Amino acid sequence: MFLKKFFHHPGILLGAGLIGGMVLFYGGKKATEVTSTDAFCASCHVHPHATDSWKQSTHYDNQRGIVVHCVDCHLPPHGFPYLREKVKTGMRDVWSTLVKDQEKINWEEKKTPEAAERHTYQASCIACHSNLFPRGLSREGEEAHLYFSDHQNEISCVRCHLQVGHYREGAIHAHNVDFGKQATVTVQVFTEPAKVDSFVSFTERIPGSTVQFDMVTIPGGTFVMGSPADEPFRKPDEGPRHTVHIRPFFMGKLEVSWDEYLAFFTQTGGTGHGTQQEKAVDGISGPTPPWGDPAQGWGRGTRPAITMTWQAAEAYCKWLSKVTGKHYRLPTEAEWEYAARGGTQGPYFFEGNPKKYSRHGWMRKIVAPDTAVIGRYVIYGMNSGGKTAEPSGLLPNPFGLVNMLGNVAEFCSDWYAPEYPAAEAENPAGPAEGTEKVIRGGSFMSDAADVRCAARDYTRTTDWLKTDPQIPKSIWWYSDCRHVGFRVVCDYPVHKTK
Amino acid sequence: MKKEQHNPSRRHFLVNASLAGTAGIIGAAALLEGCSKKKKVEYPFPPLLDKAPDGKPLKAAVIGCGGRGTGAAINFLNAGNDLSIVACADMFQDRIDKFRAQLKEEKKVEIPDDKCFIGFDAYKKVLELDIDLVILATPPYFRAEHFRAAVEAKKHVFTEKPVAVDPVGARAFLAAAKKAETLGLTVVTGTQRRHQRNYIETFRKVAEGTIGDLVGGNCYWNQSKLWHVNPKKEWSEMECMLRDWVNWCWLSGDHIVEQHIHNIDVINWFLGKYPVSAVAFGSRQRRVTGDQYDNFSVDFVYEGNIHIHSMCRQINDCTNNVSEYLRGTEGYTNCEDTIWKPDGTVLWQFEYPKNEKGEVVRELKVNPYDQEHIDLVTAIRTNKPFNEAENTVKSNIAAIMGRMSAYTGKEVTWDEVMQSELKIGPAEMVLGKVNYPVVIPVPGSAPEV
Repeated sequence: MFLKKFFHHPGILLGAGLIGGMVLFYGGKKATEVTSTDAFCASCHVHPHATDSWKQSTHYDNQRGIVVHCVDCHLPPHGFPYLREKVKTGMRDVWSTLVKDQEKINWEEKKTPEAAERHTYQASCIACHSNLFPRGLSREGEEAHLYFSDHQNEISCVRCHLQVGHYREGAIHAHNVDFGKQATVTVQVFTEPAKVDSFVSFTERIPGSTVQFDMVTIPGGTFVMGSPADEPFRKPDEGPRHTVHIRPFFMGKLEVSWDEYLAFFTQTGGTGHGTQQEKAVDGISGPTPPWGDPAQGWGRGTRPAITMTWQAAEAYCKWLSKVTGKHYRLPTEAEWEYAARGGTQGPYFFEGNPKKYSRHGWMRKIVAPDTAVIGRYVIYGMNSGGKTAEPSGLLPNPFGLVNMLGNVAEFCSDWYAPEYPAAEAENPAGPAEGTEKVIRGGSFMSDAADVRCAARDYTRTTDWLKTDPQIPKSIWWYSDCRHVGFRVVCDYPVHKTK
Repeated sequence: MKKEQHNPSRRHFLVNASLAGTAGIIGAAALLEGCSKKKKVEYPFPPLLDKAPDGKPLKAAVIGCGGRGTGAAINFLNAGNDLSIVACADMFQDRIDKFRAQLKEEKKVEIPDDKCFIGFDAYKKVLELDIDLVILATPPYFRAEHFRAAVEAKKHVFTEKPVAVDPVGARAFLAAAKKAETLGLTVVTGTQRRHQRNYIETFRKVAEGTIGDLVGGNCYWNQSKLWHVNPKKEWSEMECMLRDWVNWCWLSGDHIVEQHIHNIDVINWFLGKYPVSAVAFGSRQRRVTGDQYDNFSVDFVYEGNIHIHSMCRQINDCTNNVSEYLRGTEGYTNCEDTIWKPDGTVLWQFEYPKNEKGEVVRELKVNPYDQEHIDLVTAIRTNKPFNEAENTVKSNIAAIMGRMSAYTGKEVTWDEVMQSELKIGPAEMVLGKVNYPVVIPVPGSAPEV
């Protein structure tokens, strides 16, 4: 009776509530503090390298002695959404610790700007770096921060400042004047290009370098370009289907590699800033040093060269023609599709239904996409690990070409138009004018739906130069496109008629 | 209200539409909630004293010693006590000599020989001196570079308008304006209408909603031909251009930027926003030297589909007019001193002070050019930074947008200008041959014959 009365006393209840609230509050606060230390974050050992790279980064290792902690970037600044996000990210971490195979986590993919955007908070960057225009900021920095101020929903801090929290060897967001300069041990420098007198596959040698690459014959023929209306994942720009006749030509067995592209870069490259007016003495001016690291820290060598602009790829072909005395150029879109199909008519040059391979579609809710067959021919989103691959180990298409689909998308010489002319055509070269160029084949980032032989895409010049703060922006390197490269073709007969 | 305007500590002034100037800030905030038609305008008014307060002696240097540089130096010296000009920079000795002579004669100020610098990089030498502020009055082409250097050197700035001649320069200026803001520097920019009591009182009335919502307007700078300097044999090509700068687009930005910016700025100020696009035309009819047009006509479009017609001309014996006009849903104004009802009857008029004879003349007690420097010195001495650089460069960008549209015949948007790589002027700055093509733009294409 007394107890009942006691508990009915409003003051007691209020007091109990207060005490309970305080316990929860201070306990919660304490718990929040404990689970927000760097040591706590690192205690799961899920990503030991993340701790190491953080300690090497400017957010840890700087002259001011300031340490930026895990939660400073990987949680929003203190305030209302803080706890919500903390719970959310905490649950996610617990889930992946318990359920996922740690060995299989693709850390390479987590180093991309897109992943960084998912795992950091813009508001947290700004909370510390509130002054975007400090004294001493370079002109390029001013340009970039002005653009950022006006386009905050379009571009994030980490798009440019990717490595500030986790150090990465060679990562740079600046004028990369040393790019491609690493001394290579010269074993044998070719003095003569390959001699080609008949229509037989050959190995080209770049004079003045140690670089060689294979060119394979593509027999002339007739094919139906575009995809049928019932092909899964078909897009309207893949039609109308029309008959195309193609003359014989040679095509690079592989996409142009860094070795090949760097031969061009070192033999022709300028040191200044490329402008349209710049003309080299011999008529071919080469790329100026890039902004940032075009190779993305993935390595160079036989990996496909990437991030060069369409104009740069064109310049490469002109240069290659000059040094080899042949006529190299980018393929037309028709040549590209003809070569990719290699005489086949299905969605791919190998067996299979895109519905089974794609991550999209209602079936994916029940069964995982089939990767066995497609994975032997194509480097795409499901097997690339988020980066380009070296070409070894992949099966060729019927013409002997490797990586036509996937790895990197490839420039064609045509302007893009969202529709083909319906008429039968002989060696068509695309519309007379346009604003963006065709790219084909999909890339290491693509879904299986987008590496079909008929799938089309095009350049996005403005978007791909967003984080290049130079004035004018580079005409040689895209700052924000890492999935496009190219492959050369060579006319037969090989010698230039002019 | 009046008191507030005179009190430099209360520069941020809130206007409530329903109050029409009857209450202070606290009252305004309290009433905001109960009022459905509310309008809040925050605008940093300059302190507007008749003379700058005494305080720390301030040393200034002048970069660009032509007519306006000399004028600005004298305006600065007029602003208060303990103000001095201690150094100067220009491209030409005769300009420096004239400048020093005039300062000596009018203000008894002498600048020693070793504090006078000549050349394209003279501004760097000036900025290394122990000075508090710089007056930037060179041809506008150089302004962004000079302003950026002045801010990096942590100097307060008086800069003449315009502040840039192309999008690249304008963005450099804008970034430096933001740096100046975070450094707490005071920057006054030579758009003196924003320092005129008549304009400010009219703005206040309009911001309070006296003529309702603004729906459209016009602005004009139509005047006779401006000056030109014929080339001389003993001058290099560069020297000819620099001395004739007001006729060369790369140096002045063309007259829509160089002169008409004043009126465009008033419109932007009153509307509280900047145009999103422009379609313009213009031509060169009677100009003697240089490569500029002598007339422009621009349709500026603002958010809310507000159209402003801007026109400017520098041709003799035409109808002249330098003014602004804004129409609201409940009346109209000349922005300068009068507000009319829709039927044309005067609703409000600014009260000008009386002169010694007791007559009302349409003149302010302090001339606006001195007023700018009084405001500059007051802001520095009271440690209440006043920075109008961003406002001015944005109006400057609007003017460049109009010019770009007239030159190309194409619509130009604000975003296009903000991302444009257009940078005009020769690549190399030397007093000699100018390696820069003289091309007078012709918009569109000729019909095939």
